[in-house]
Amino acid sequence: MVVGQQARKAMLGECPKKVARLIDLVNLPSNLREFAGGQSQMAHLGFFIRVWSHIKTHNLQDPNNKNLVNCDDKLKSILLGKTQVELSKLPMLINLHFPKPSK
Amino acid sequence: MGKLSPSLRSAKLPLPFLKPAPSPSPPPPAPPPSPSLPLSQSSSPPKPSVFFRSPLKKPKKPAKTPRGTLNPSPPPPQQHVFRSPLLSDAISTFDALVASSPSSLDPTSLLQSFCNAGASPADALSFLRHISPSLGPGRATFHVLLGHSCLHPSAPDPAAVLDLMSDNGSPPVAASADLAVRALCSADRLDDACVLLRDRLASTADRFTYNFLVRRFARFRPISTVYSLIKELRRAGLQPDLVTYTNLIDAVCRGRNLREATRLLGKLADAGFKPDCYLYNVIMKGYCMVDQCGEVMEVYNRMKDEGIEPDLVTYNTLVYGLSKAGMITQAKKFLDVMADMGHFPDVVTYTSLMCGMCRKGDAVGALKLLGEMEEKGCTPNECTYNTLVMGLCKAKCLDKGIQLYQEMIAKAMKLDNATYATFVRALCRANKIAEAYEVFDYAIDSKSLTDVTAYMALENSLKWLNKAKV
Repeated sequence: MVVGQQARKAMLGECPKKVARLIDLVNLPSNLREFAGGQSQMAHLGFFIRVWSHIKTHNLQDPNNKNLVNCDDKLKSILLGKTQVELSKLPMLINLHFPKPSK
Repeated sequence: MGKLSPSLRSAKLPLPFLKPAPSPSPPPPAPPPSPSLPLSQSSSPPKPSVFFRSPLKKPKKPAKTPRGTLNPSPPPPQQHVFRSPLLSDAISTFDALVASSPSSLDPTSLLQSFCNAGASPADALSFLRHISPSLGPGRATFHVLLGHSCLHPSAPDPAAVLDLMSDNGSPPVAASADLAVRALCSADRLDDACVLLRDRLASTADRFTYNFLVRRFARFRPISTVYSLIKELRRAGLQPDLVTYTNLIDAVCRGRNLREATRLLGKLADAGFKPDCYLYNVIMKGYCMVDQCGEVMEVYNRMKDEGIEPDLVTYNTLVYGLSKAGMITQAKKFLDVMADMGHFPDVVTYTSLMCGMCRKGDAVGALKLLGEMEEKGCTPNECTYNTLVMGLCKAKCLDKGIQLYQEMIAKAMKLDNATYATFVRALCRANKIAEAYEVFDYAIDSKSLTDVTAYMALENSLKWLNKAKV
């Protein structure tokens, strides 16, 4: 029961709205569609994981400082045209494309 | 660290969820109950198994032996005779079999095979009626039918099967009652099980079945329902015993209802039961649950006064309680005491102690304890590593934490939620963002966490980091 309670707390501890914002499919703006492989809808979280795996598969991390990413053209198109971004800023940059719905 | 003895999670369930039907072939697939099965399995945490180890393992033996003898091992080729769940197909197959080799047919395995093919309980009953005249089913055959119809949520009252058993000269025995109740419980039909036990099986059921049902009730229903169940069953001739009370006290302690637990203890004394080791274990655990961990020592002393021999679980609970209360030195003393008594500290003991030490901020000491433990031939488990990694991160010994994390990867162990969040935060704070991303990947790949949980922790840590930078 204790373990169960904890699992439940872990599930409910996160605000359900926040979770929904991460996993619900949304219509992608046109400039992201190319990166998303032509899909017109994608979840915030799925998009983030796609960007991160793109960085990994193309070895875009700076060899001297792994915390930096040297953007290729594809990444530039979605990350405000920057040539180099910090890995720690990545979630925020992606958040820009998934604005909170205004109430 | 704020959780109850993480290491206990690895313990196994005390009972197979559903006893196999009396046949060597796998239990009937019974499609509808299957969704409920993982649910109930996950909602019944392994924890009690540690505390209830012996009293609940007992029921298996007496229930199984009679059934085992009833059930001659059938020849293997009969196990998958029937492929289709349709009654007409089964009957024609059966007729063909009878025509070719009437002597080698075993009604039990035939029926089991038909049930495994996905037959509905009503069809299974008709099939049994069809084969009865030529084969003469025994009690084991009826048990297959009974188990099958209890597992099926839409099945009519299993009492019909019991009637059939009585009519055919093999009245239900304790094993039948046990089978029916357990099957009903695993199909989430607790109320049906209760009615069946009260109305039909009160005279045949033994106390193991009774205690099983009470335990399930105590776990999933409010305590008042359990009391009315006990009252009803008492009227039907089934009396609560010490195991019942132990289960009840455990259930109310889980609900952090200390007053009710105390009342039950008084009631138990009134009923003339003498607390045994298991009851004391449950009381100790109860104190840990309500965050009065210091009391465990008192319970232990009372146990000694009463002359009751503590077992491994007692010592583990004791060490856990003392560690949680911050009395590390005392807890450590008990490692030697238990070894002297012939109970060697196991992974649960060590993990509880480490958890206590980490909570006190002595993660390095906990790491030393890990070495000591491995020296003594006790292999650390997932929870041990999780506790240590978290403790080390909190104590700002990130390097050692990373080392242990590498070991965890090598052993393909999962990270738990709190450890993951702490570890990622510590990595971000040390500006090892890339490493934090790797941990994020590992957490998702090893299926330790859902991707949402993992991402949220990562995002929070990074957000915090960026705020601190500005």
